[in-house]
Amino acid sequence: MKREIRALFKNVLIEEKGKKITITAKKEQTLELLRFLKNKGYNYLVLISAVDWIKEKEFELIYVLSSYVRKEKLHVILKTRIPRENPRFKTVIPIFENAEPYEREIHELFGIKFEGHPRLTPLLLERDYRIPPFRKDFDTRKYVKKFFEEIPSIEP
Amino acid sequence: MRELELFFGPQHMGMVGNFSITLKVEGDQILEAYANPGWLHRGFEKLMEYRTWIQNFPMVCRINVVEPDHMEMVYAMAVEELAKIEVPERARYIRTIVLELARLSSHLFGCWAYANMLGFDTVAQWAMYHRDLILDLFEELTGGRVYHIYIWPGGVRRDFPKGFKDKIINTLHAIGSCIPDYDSTFFNNPLFYARARGIGKINQEEAKKLGATGPVIRATGLKFDIRKIEPYAVYDEVDFDIPTREEGDAYSRVWVIRDEMIQSVGIIMQCLEKMPPGEVYNRVPNPFKWKIPKGETYVRVESSRGELGIYLVSNGEDRPYRVHFRTPSYPHGLIILERVLKKANIADVGNIMISLYVVAPEIDR
Amino acid sequence: MDRNQLGKWLKEPGKMGHKYSLWAVYFCTGCGIIEIPPVITARWDAERFGVIPVATPRQANLFMITGYVSLKTLKAIIRTYEQMPDPKYTVAFGSCPINGGMYWDSYNTIKCIDKYIPIDGWIAGCMPRPEAIFIGVVHLWTLIEKGMATGYIKYRERYPEYRKNQERLFGKLEWPPLYPMNNHEKRD
Repeated sequence: MKREIRALFKNVLIEEKGKKITITAKKEQTLELLRFLKNKGYNYLVLISAVDWIKEKEFELIYVLSSYVRKEKLHVILKTRIPRENPRFKTVIPIFENAEPYEREIHELFGIKFEGHPRLTPLLLERDYRIPPFRKDFDTRKYVKKFFEEIPSIEP
Repeated sequence: MRELELFFGPQHMGMVGNFSITLKVEGDQILEAYANPGWLHRGFEKLMEYRTWIQNFPMVCRINVVEPDHMEMVYAMAVEELAKIEVPERARYIRTIVLELARLSSHLFGCWAYANMLGFDTVAQWAMYHRDLILDLFEELTGGRVYHIYIWPGGVRRDFPKGFKDKIINTLHAIGSCIPDYDSTFFNNPLFYARARGIGKINQEEAKKLGATGPVIRATGLKFDIRKIEPYAVYDEVDFDIPTREEGDAYSRVWVIRDEMIQSVGIIMQCLEKMPPGEVYNRVPNPFKWKIPKGETYVRVESSRGELGIYLVSNGEDRPYRVHFRTPSYPHGLIILERVLKKANIADVGNIMISLYVVAPEIDR
Repeated sequence: MDRNQLGKWLKEPGKMGHKYSLWAVYFCTGCGIIEIPPVITARWDAERFGVIPVATPRQANLFMITGYVSLKTLKAIIRTYEQMPDPKYTVAFGSCPINGGMYWDSYNTIKCIDKYIPIDGWIAGCMPRPEAIFIGVVHLWTLIEKGMATGYIKYRERYPEYRKNQERLFGKLEWPPLYPMNNHEKRD
């Protein structure tokens, strides 16, 4: 399968270790690569996650795929990078139907916009934050000191 | 008939944990349902980036309060894979026994929740009592009833105390001899059959498309268990079966849970016989100033609700760079619940939610 | 009954009635979902202390805050607390409502809940054992008997300060104030 991917897509980086394959691709190739992997039998989307690499000024989106039947390689981890200013990406709901809450949560906590998503409303948070809370420049200890400890307690 | 909007909110006797659903109803039938999680959000993954690798262990077990051992196991497995630490043989057997006892206590908690909600109070009291007997065992082994910080990278923290093996066997006999009573009062009860048959039906194709795992997909006929496909600890050296049912409704899910409890007892008995003597802990050099090499990994185990996974990124420092937990209640509670509730009655909302085996703190983390 | 108890019952039957039948609202907030069912069921029976769970807050007079409280849950707690009839008592479990506990640096949990609703008793632990919960209930009986469990009176008299703290967290609140905001004279 490694040879097929190298033949069809140029400039991808593939690493194998035990039962896992890690593929690093450019952001324009991601949707086609997902469709190709789904046709190969990896039709179970396990997780969509995001990592904030602040020093390199990029976000990294991670798709973990797996399968319900026994295969030689059980996990496929697909990584892409998008720039950190005004981050946006296409949604994968046409390919995998259960991607909806994962993308909603990443939009809320990291600030990445997904184009074509039907309902990008807040899922977990209650207030609006100036910087989305899971980014590396949001210091949660300073925020707690400023916001919660200044409220006066009621003495008897 | 008019359309009304109802809040099935967090303070309700039929809700397990703090979770709320907004329903659009017409008469007694539900037209649409929207799930509102977020009542228990603590920002776990952000807090873990501020603490060192060892300081994270007491944090990790508080994500799923009903069965904390699977969380510790999956975090320990991920750290061991990145740092390349080996686990001794006796520690792997002890880990299997602890995980199976946690699975038993979690299934008994599920039986309490379901029986309490439907009104079968006798079975609810029995299930909680038997779960307390298992928590007594945990208290003697680890020191805490609910949060045991016992499994850590390199093995487990201490060995079995004297006479512990006989105590486990006595407790399991006490629980196992009550199974005919459970059957005749709850599982084979015609009232329960009338209440749960045909409710919350989902077929296999749709369950596979929406990412269901655990008892939800085993009740639709697919034999999918991570302990058989990708074994960890000593699951490749013991004999056990994977129970499945065909119909995919609430009745079959509860029967799958009952059969799994019997399989867990069998696994514990086999492990107790085969356990070799030896060390239980491979000491890590200077755990307070421990740096783990760069890399990322994805590891998973089979918890009692489905597939529990962790995606861990390390940057070469002494604290994690990014942690993301993939919990089994996330697809069950947010996507499958909204589909299945479309054709149901209001009286069955709690029924469906508890039979899909959703626990609220897992969704919010 | 011995003569001591009989005397107390005859002098103040209302107070003794409050003590020995504290009905608790069934609202398990944070990590406490795991220690409330063992307390209520057969092994550590809470009914011998008079405590049973009820479904609606209109019939209850004890409110148990079990574990940490997040921002969304605080809104529901305030609304439930204001629906309970007087006299009412609150008890907080665990170390998270006292000073933040394990999640002291989280952006979404409340660090000290005494600033938003009044608390009568605190029980430490992470999670406290069922025996510790019963010791807390027995202490509450002593406080009620001496007239020292006055959380609800404090809420009524200093309501503007509580409401101002709540509005600092959430912005404008959706429900109207419970007591008039400019009551200067105190009740006796």
